Amino acid sequence: MTQGSLMLDSEIRLWIYQHFVDTGRAPSPVEIAAHFQLTPAEVEHRLRRLQEEAAALVLLPGSSYIWMAEPFSAVPTPFLVRSGGGQWWGNCVWDALAILALIGTDGVVSTACPNSGQALVLSVTKGSLADAQRIVHFAVPAREWWRDIGFT
Amino acid sequence: MLLFRSEDDIAAWCEQRHITPGATFDVARLWRLARVWYDDRLNSSWRRRTIQERQAILDAVGLSGSFWRLTDS
Repeated sequence: MTQGSLMLDSEIRLWIYQHFVDTGRAPSPVEIAAHFQLTPAEVEHRLRRLQEEAAALVLLPGSSYIWMAEPFSAVPTPFLVRSGGGQWWGNCVWDALAILALIGTDGVVSTACPNSGQALVLSVTKGSLADAQRIVHFAVPAREWWRDIGFT
Repeated sequence: MLLFRSEDDIAAWCEQRHITPGATFDVARLWRLARVWYDDRLNSSWRRRTIQERQAILDAVGLSGSFWRLTDS
């Protein structure tokens, strides 16, 4: 693999992230192909390499569509992030807060207690988290987090 | 991981699903972790952090018990 090819992978990765930031959603493989003037097959190959070799993103199983570019989720989740006129989905509450930190903006994370169903809202104002009384539970030890990325 | 209203809710949720309770901490610590864990993702020179680098971040926010080890060793 040439240095130029790796640089293009890096540019695609960064563009995907900026697309999430700007629009709240992942670009489709066709959109990536159009932007970089690549064939769909080339895009799929590069997305798989970004997943398997760089661990830069996760594709929906059996497809070339992006599922996650952590902390962003391309599919709706129980962790909705809002700021200004924008909204994003986090893969978990950790990722939802990380979206606000990554973008560098104040906002709110909306979710619900999985047991009681009570709505829980976390607010970040001027870079500080308000109402920090809620409890985070990790069901899986850290060494197993990447065994099943959808369940931690 | 999930966000709960209280420790009682975690216990009830785990019991209903026959899940052994894992580890808990307050969301203030999660905010500290969230601010640094992905802070390089919009950098053009991003590369995945090594296990040692990720472990150092967990250690820095006080997550240093065996539950928080990223490797078996």
